[in-house]
Amino acid sequence: MKLLLTNAGSYPRIGDTPELQLLRRTQGALDRKETTPESLQAAEGALVKAALREQEEAGLDLLTDGQVRWGDPISHFAGKLAGIEISALLRYFDTNFYFRQPVAKGEIKAANGRALLAEYEFAKSNSSKPVKPVLTGPLTLARHTLVEHPPYQQLDPLVRAYAQALAPELEALAHAGAEVIQLDEPALLRHQTDFPVLQRALQMLTKHKGKAKLALYVYFGDPQPLYERLQQLPVDILGLDFTYNPKFVERVIALGSQKPLALGLVDGRNTRLEDAAAVAHTLDRILLRVKGDACYLNPSCGLEYLPRDRALAKLKLLTQIRAQTKGHK
Amino acid sequence: MSRERLKELCLELPLFPVTSVGSFPKPDYLTQARADLQKGKITAAELRALEEKATAFWIEKQEELGVDVLVDGEQYRGDMVAYFAEVLPGFQEGGLVRSYGNRYYRKPIIVGAVEWTKPITVDWWRFAQERTDRPVKGMLTGPYTLMDWSFNEHYPDRKTTCLAMAQVVRKEVEALIEAGCKIVQIDEPAISTRVEELPFALEAMQQVTNGLPAYFVTHICYGAFEYVYPKVLELAVNNIDLDMSATAGRRLPLMQKDPFTKDISYGVVDSHSHLIEDVETVKQRVAQALTVLAKEQVWLDPDCGLKTRTVEEALGKLRVITEAAKAARAEHITQ
Repeated sequence: MKLLLTNAGSYPRIGDTPELQLLRRTQGALDRKETTPESLQAAEGALVKAALREQEEAGLDLLTDGQVRWGDPISHFAGKLAGIEISALLRYFDTNFYFRQPVAKGEIKAANGRALLAEYEFAKSNSSKPVKPVLTGPLTLARHTLVEHPPYQQLDPLVRAYAQALAPELEALAHAGAEVIQLDEPALLRHQTDFPVLQRALQMLTKHKGKAKLALYVYFGDPQPLYERLQQLPVDILGLDFTYNPKFVERVIALGSQKPLALGLVDGRNTRLEDAAAVAHTLDRILLRVKGDACYLNPSCGLEYLPRDRALAKLKLLTQIRAQTKGHK
Repeated sequence: MSRERLKELCLELPLFPVTSVGSFPKPDYLTQARADLQKGKITAAELRALEEKATAFWIEKQEELGVDVLVDGEQYRGDMVAYFAEVLPGFQEGGLVRSYGNRYYRKPIIVGAVEWTKPITVDWWRFAQERTDRPVKGMLTGPYTLMDWSFNEHYPDRKTTCLAMAQVVRKEVEALIEAGCKIVQIDEPAISTRVEELPFALEAMQQVTNGLPAYFVTHICYGAFEYVYPKVLELAVNNIDLDMSATAGRRLPLMQKDPFTKDISYGVVDSHSHLIEDVETVKQRVAQALTVLAKEQVWLDPDCGLKTRTVEEALGKLRVITEAAKAARAEHITQ
C-alpha cells in the first residue's frame, strides 16, 4: 500500500518574519485605501508560494495552496454567488476562528462557474508537486447560511442549490488537471441526520468530477457513528478526523475500509507533537485493513489554526511517521 | 434581577445602565509606541505613560457621553488571553494565529502548571477608578476561554485545564475586590464552543465567583448561543452580556420561551461594522428587547469590544447608545 502525505487544506498565511507578514500589511494598507487590489493579489500570491514551498520542503506528496486567498471557508465561495449577501461574523465550529455568514436573499446561481480555477492554476504553476484544490461542500455551506429566500427554508433545496453552484467548479478543476479534489463537509459530523441530504448532493456532484478523485473530508467531530454509512457515499477517498474519539482507530481497524482513507491522525488543532513511532504503529494496523492501492496521511484539519512554526513541525512529523511505518512509502 | 445585589454593594444605577464590553481602539500614537518598544526605540516607562494618557482619554470620553459603568478601555492589552498568559507562569507565548479576516493574535501555549503569583489587572483598574466617580468594571478573561483559546501541552484534558484556570482567575477577582472593585466582568466568549463541555464551564465559573462580594458580569459573543440556552443561565454571575444587534430575531423567542432570569447587557450596536447606527435604530432595538425582557434587567452596550473600530466610530457608537438610553428612561420612568 502506497502512503501519500498531504495537507488537509489551509495553511497559516502569516509568520514571524517581515516577508511572512506581507499579506497582513498589504490588506491593512488596502483597508486604509493606501494600496491597490492588485498589490493584495500579489501579496496573496507570495504567501501561496511560501505555503507551497514549506509543504514541499516538509516532504509532502500532494500540496494545497493553503487557501491563503480565502477570507474564511464559507464566505469565500458563497460570496461569489448571485443570490447571496455576506453578513456578520460567527464562530466557525469549535474553533476560535470566525466566518462571515452568507444570507440567501434570492435564488443561488453560480457567477461564472470559474470562481476557484485561477487559484488552482496559480498554485499548480508554482509547485513541482501535484496540487489538490480544496472546496467547502454544499452541506457545510448550507448549514452556515441564514435563509431569507422562502424556497430555501428546507435544507434540501438549499444544499442542492449550493451543489449546483459547485458542480461547474469541480468540472473546471478536473479539466485543468487536478488529480484529487478535496470536498470539506465538517458540518456532517455536527448534523448527522443530514446524511441523506448530503448523499443526494454528492450523487449529483460526482458526475462532474471527470477523471479526478473526489476526497470527502469530515472533521471537527467524531466520525465513528457515521463511519459505516460514509463508506456508502459516492466519493473516492474518505478523509477522517481521529482526534475527537480515541476509540475510533479501533473501530476502523475492526471494520476495515472499502475506500482509500485520508487519515487525520495528527492533531491539526494543538501544538503538542505526537509521538511518531506510536502513530506509525497505529497507521500500520489501519493500512492492513484498507482496500485500494494508496492511502493518505494528513493533519486532522487545515493547519491555519496553528502558528506557522508549529504547522510546519506537524508537516515534518508526517514525514517522520511515514519513515517509521513498515514499508508504506 | 440583581438590583438587590447592586444595592447591597451601594451601587446606584439608572434604568438601562449604559456600559461597554471592554476594549476601545488604541490611538495611533499608542500603536506606534508599541511598535517602537519592540524595536527598542522607547522604554517601557515611556510606553506606560502613553497608555495612561490613552486610558485617561477614554475615561473622560465615557463620562462626557454619559456612560454609567465604565471600562478602562484596555489600552495596555493586546489580546484578551495573551495579556494574562504573558504574566502567568506556566504559559509560553505562541505564534500568530488568525481569528478572522485580517485579524491575528498570539495564541499562548500551556507548557506547565499555571499559577497566580501577583495581581495582574489591579493597577490599571485603580488608575481608571481614580479618575471617575462612576464605577469602573474589573475586566478578566474567564477560565473556559483561557483554556479554549490556548494550546495545551501540559494538562491531561480540557476539563482539568479549565478548572486549573478557575483557581487562577478567582485569585485575580479576590485581588480586584480587595482593591475596591465592585463590578467584575469575567468574559467567556468561548463558552458556547462545545455544548457538551458546558457543565464544567459552569463549574469553573462557580469556583471563580462563589461567595465573593461583587456584581458579576460575563460577556458571551458570536457563538451558538441557542445551543447553550437556557442552561447558560446557570452561570454563577448576575449579568450576561450578549451581542444582540444582529441576533435578537432568533434569540428573543428563546428568551420568551425560557425567561431570561438574570440581568442582561444587551448589545445594541454592531462592533464590527464601520457604520454608526442612528439613534432611531438603537431605540427600536431597545423597544424590541422590552417586548420580552423587563426594563429593570436591561443594560445597554455594544455587541463586543470596540477595539477594531476607529476612535471616531467607537465614540459615535457609544453616543447613540447613551442617547437611546436617555430616551428609553424618559419613556419608561414616566410610565
